[in-house]
Amino acid sequence: MSTQASDAAIATEHLTKRYGERLAVDALTLTVQRGEVFGFLGPNGAGKTTTLAMLLGLVRPSAGRAVVLGVDVAANPVTALARVGAMIEAPAFYPYLSGYDNLRVLCRAGGIAEPRIAEVLEVVEMTSRARERVRVYSQGMKQRLALAATLLPDPELILLDEPTNGLDPAGTAEIRQLIRSLAARGRTIFLCSHQLHEVEQVCERVAILKAGRLLAEGQVAALLQRDQRLRVRIEGDASEAIALLKALPWVTGVETAADHLIVVTPTSRAAELNAYLAASGVPVAELAPDAGSLEDFFLEVTGAP
Amino acid sequence: MFTRLFAAEWLKLWRRPLAWAMLAIFLGLLALSLILWTLVVALHEGALGISLTVLREEQVAEIRRQLSLPGIFGMVLGQVNSTGGILAILLAAGSLGGDYSWGTLRSLLSRAPDRRAYLLAKTMALLLGLLIGVVLGLLVGVLIALIASAWLGLPHTLSVRDLLVLPIGIARALLIILPYLLLTLASAALGRSTLAGIAGGIVFLIFDIGAGSLTSLGLVNPLIRQVINLLLQPNINSLVMQNGQLFGLDQSLLTNALDPTVLPAPFQATLVVIIYSLLFGYTAWRTIARRDITGAQ
Repeated sequence: MSTQASDAAIATEHLTKRYGERLAVDALTLTVQRGEVFGFLGPNGAGKTTTLAMLLGLVRPSAGRAVVLGVDVAANPVTALARVGAMIEAPAFYPYLSGYDNLRVLCRAGGIAEPRIAEVLEVVEMTSRARERVRVYSQGMKQRLALAATLLPDPELILLDEPTNGLDPAGTAEIRQLIRSLAARGRTIFLCSHQLHEVEQVCERVAILKAGRLLAEGQVAALLQRDQRLRVRIEGDASEAIALLKALPWVTGVETAADHLIVVTPTSRAAELNAYLAASGVPVAELAPDAGSLEDFFLEVTGAP
Repeated sequence: MFTRLFAAEWLKLWRRPLAWAMLAIFLGLLALSLILWTLVVALHEGALGISLTVLREEQVAEIRRQLSLPGIFGMVLGQVNSTGGILAILLAAGSLGGDYSWGTLRSLLSRAPDRRAYLLAKTMALLLGLLIGVVLGLLVGVLIALIASAWLGLPHTLSVRDLLVLPIGIARALLIILPYLLLTLASAALGRSTLAGIAGGIVFLIFDIGAGSLTSLGLVNPLIRQVINLLLQPNINSLVMQNGQLFGLDQSLLTNALDPTVLPAPFQATLVVIIYSLLFGYTAWRTIARRDITGAQ
């Protein structure tokens, strides 16, 4: 493992998990630098949760290794996980205990001072309901409590698995804001989510996993950058523009979107295309490279319909 | 790590309604059996205006001893090892099985990843809970014995020696429960559920009690006796008997299974119970240490 990787918040090297014949995670090599907000994406069953579980020492890798905050998880889980907060799959609590007592259990297990509970409850706005038993909590409240539990050890690395599940739009926005504020304080966030719009808003880098294999990894902006599509908005009727564009030999396709056209052509031809349409008497109101969305990219990479 | 996890396990146990329900059932059953014993003696002596003699004189004398100090200690400890054992199985199964079925094992072990310490902390917290249950049982027993003795005029001969050997009796009672407790934890870990824990503990208990009833076959042939005495139940019976003897009781007068002529010697009984405990404890530890920890079941 390189020096850069060993200094990273997370570094996996050929991390593999096999259940009988099924390969859940296939030789995953990934590095997440300290202070990054990293999105970990993939369809259901892609191996995201298994990867998280291996990072937390809950699942034993079949091969390869995982290093968290510079410490090998398998060799020294206590040290590796001391400054890690994790929320994995659905929130899990003792239903007969109050939210507060559930956090007390985790404080005792983690060697954390109990005054910290009030702080994290405040952050997730659960102070007023903390003394009620968890069995009466809604899904959203359990989700907030799980986030509070994640923040208890004041973690340097935070692993979040679908943190906004069950939250209303306002709650989702608050969590997004919380992730940003944690990142601003230098925390590393490893975010698994199906909410691609959310990931696109908060993550700097993403990795996409499918059937245990890493399909793509990189800066969000770089991954979404496409050099073959132009977004063109025409004033008035676009039918003449479509006919003109299709006649060009270097345009390989024209798609109609809500209020604009997507022209499949090298973006280097933008000026030429603008001049051609203007000369043909078609006014161009807007012309820009089409960056696309993370959702489009995800569907394209994973081959989903 | 052990201390932290023990504190967490204790908080969970202390706040768990199941634990209080088990304690209430145990104390209720104990009180009921003491009241029934008192009525048996009262009927035998005609204290209720009716005289009913269904037991032999020496059996009634044994019950009188069980309702007096220090015999009440032996009686309560005997109850701990019968009904208390079953309730301990239910509590232990719920304790570990709940962590699997609610998915809380993941939360705990991702914060305190020493699985050996986790199992040890859980076992010690359960034993501490049982110890408190035993002490409360003794207090309830003494209280009822004092009332019964005031009514029936039973004599008390409590000595310093009785109080000094009481901790030995309590420790022995907990040792008797330990293999069942650890087997239950191993079963809950293997089946990843409360139900598996209960099934493992209770099925073994039934099988073991059934096999223990073969003890009388030991009278036929010494070799058969040696083999049967390697089972858990005869050794448990031997330790229960010793706990009774510690406080002047002879429980063989009331229970055929406690025939001292065929039961294993005290040293063997202690050794066999410890070996079974180690075997079950190792199975539980190996299962928890080696298995992947999955989500809620």
